[in-house]
Amino acid sequence: MLAIIKKELRQYFYSMVGFVFLAFFLAIIGLYTWAGNLSQGIGNFEATLGNLTFIYVILIPILTMRIVAEENKQKTDQLLYTSPISLSKVILGKYLAVMALFTIGILVISLYPLLIHSYGDEVRLSLAYSSIIGFYLLGAANIAIGLFISSLTESQVIAAVVSFIVLLLSNMLSSIATMLPSDSLSQAVILAVVWIAVCVAVYNMLKNVIVTGILAAAGEILIWVIYFVKSSLYENLLTKVADVFVVSSRYTDFELGILKYDAIVYYLSVIFIFVFLTIQVIKKKRFN
Amino acid sequence: MIEVKHLVKKYGNHAAVDDLSFTVESGKIVGFLGPNGAGKSTTMNMITGYIAPTEGTVLVDGVDMNEDPEKAKKNIGYLPEIPPLYPDLRVREYLQFIAELKKVSRGDRAKQVHHIMSKTGILDVSERLIRNLSKGYKQRVGLAAAMMGDPDILILDEPTVGLDPKQIIEMRDLIRELSQKHTILLSSHIMQEISAVCDEIIIINEGKMIASDTPENLIKQMVEKNGIHLVAKGARDAIKNALRTVSGIKNVKYDEKNEEDTIGMTLYAMEGKDIREDVFYALVKADCPIYEIHPLAASLEDAFLALTGSGSRQYGGKKNKKKKEDAQKGKEEVQETDADEIDAEVHETEVSDAEADAGQSVSEDVTEKEEK
Repeated sequence: MLAIIKKELRQYFYSMVGFVFLAFFLAIIGLYTWAGNLSQGIGNFEATLGNLTFIYVILIPILTMRIVAEENKQKTDQLLYTSPISLSKVILGKYLAVMALFTIGILVISLYPLLIHSYGDEVRLSLAYSSIIGFYLLGAANIAIGLFISSLTESQVIAAVVSFIVLLLSNMLSSIATMLPSDSLSQAVILAVVWIAVCVAVYNMLKNVIVTGILAAAGEILIWVIYFVKSSLYENLLTKVADVFVVSSRYTDFELGILKYDAIVYYLSVIFIFVFLTIQVIKKKRFN
Repeated sequence: MIEVKHLVKKYGNHAAVDDLSFTVESGKIVGFLGPNGAGKSTTMNMITGYIAPTEGTVLVDGVDMNEDPEKAKKNIGYLPEIPPLYPDLRVREYLQFIAELKKVSRGDRAKQVHHIMSKTGILDVSERLIRNLSKGYKQRVGLAAAMMGDPDILILDEPTVGLDPKQIIEMRDLIRELSQKHTILLSSHIMQEISAVCDEIIIINEGKMIASDTPENLIKQMVEKNGIHLVAKGARDAIKNALRTVSGIKNVKYDEKNEEDTIGMTLYAMEGKDIREDVFYALVKADCPIYEIHPLAASLEDAFLALTGSGSRQYGGKKNKKKKEDAQKGKEEVQETDADEIDAEVHETEVSDAEADAGQSVSEDVTEKEEK
């Protein structure tokens, strides 16, 4: 696994992607820190970071686009998967390599609160560092998503674009959900439409009319039965569902200095699920 | 030792490999021969554990690839069709990475990397970026990677493809040298290569095994083919008449194109008969000097063509390239010959029909049956 990590890091720095990522990451955060904290003499570094979660939407795809896709394209995956090392270790090694690079950036910005602190006492270090931890976990979760998307394709460009769209959507999902009508009838209608879309997707995979037909009908009946029996369940349902998928929504607690277990567990689960899914995607490719 | 048992790989309804079983004994070089799309690479990918078989098992030194892949993979060095190189790494870095990946102990790494680089002749490019290497060097770096960790078994998928003739010879020598210490499974669609290095040949087509034997036996098994190819100077009729006097000629096939004033032809003798001397004297008597005469030995290529059937035109092209003396006669002739040879031999009794067909489509005297 160490071999994979070393190789990945080497490639990051030979191909400039590593430097480009770090340069952007530090430049943008540096600019915000200068404008928000240093130039105004305000010590709330946590607020500065809170305004910066959007940079992941741009930076994570750059970091993760080549990680598996390029191996698929260059056929070097043949080397990795025929070597006496388990697939899980290969993927985990890749994930840890990206994390190592990302950690360098985080370590540098960890100095910023101290730097601001040296100009006065009004920096609440606990708040600043709790938000850095949240910021780090958020990035780590996004990297796992990027890793997964990269494993689905052979093209770096497709991997980058899809990761960008997915991360953007996951950032916007909560605001989209709040824009939709929140009464139970419209929520049920939206749910019914979404379910049909899911069934169409399933049909595309299975090519079996009967199975998907039964699936669609059963889902629709269930949705409407629940609506007539207990319509209160549907109130604000979409916002609640969206909340599960909005990776950045958990970040607010950290910003307030609250290190909640459930938020930490949430991020670790996202990481685990997507690394696991990546391994499964590659395993499935073997059986094809 | 590799044992492959009832291997099947299906893509949808199409079986890329269909119930393939064979054994590669330790210390042997076995050639894996087949046209493109025959399932060579798919089989190799399954043996090395890159893809999983739909059915069947692969045992590497007795270890089941499906049950204990890490242990099984340890004994295999694999050079895929496209060498798996990272263009942005330097050769030495790349090989060091491979050494780590293959769990070469820390103390041995630098030594082994150096040793393998000198063995494969890439020491002088060791500090260059892989991206900037020529195809031949890339292939050698790929081979070096396969050799790393000193596996018992080397699996080489078309190791000489895309190399120039000098590099092909070097690669072949290297493989022969490696065979002293390793069991080698080698795939190719170039007959020369296989017959030059291999102890045993497995011919597959459309995922099925067609033949498995030593090169010598395969040739022996071959359909009767003791004929000679001949180029003589003189008028067609004179040559024809001269040949009529020779007994034991079963069939004559004239080449379509030739040097001016000369006529090329292939003579098929009756079984167990050497007609060379008689033909020589007959032509001398007729005042038709012989420019060229050589036995149409049943080469591996012929065996291959006969065994895989008519669907391998491309090998006509390769055959053409190999036999330089045939080169001038152009591609049509070779294709023509392929089809005719099979016709002539399989349907001996129907030669006159085949002749009529051929005559219509090409020229009146492409195929002609001699009266004995």
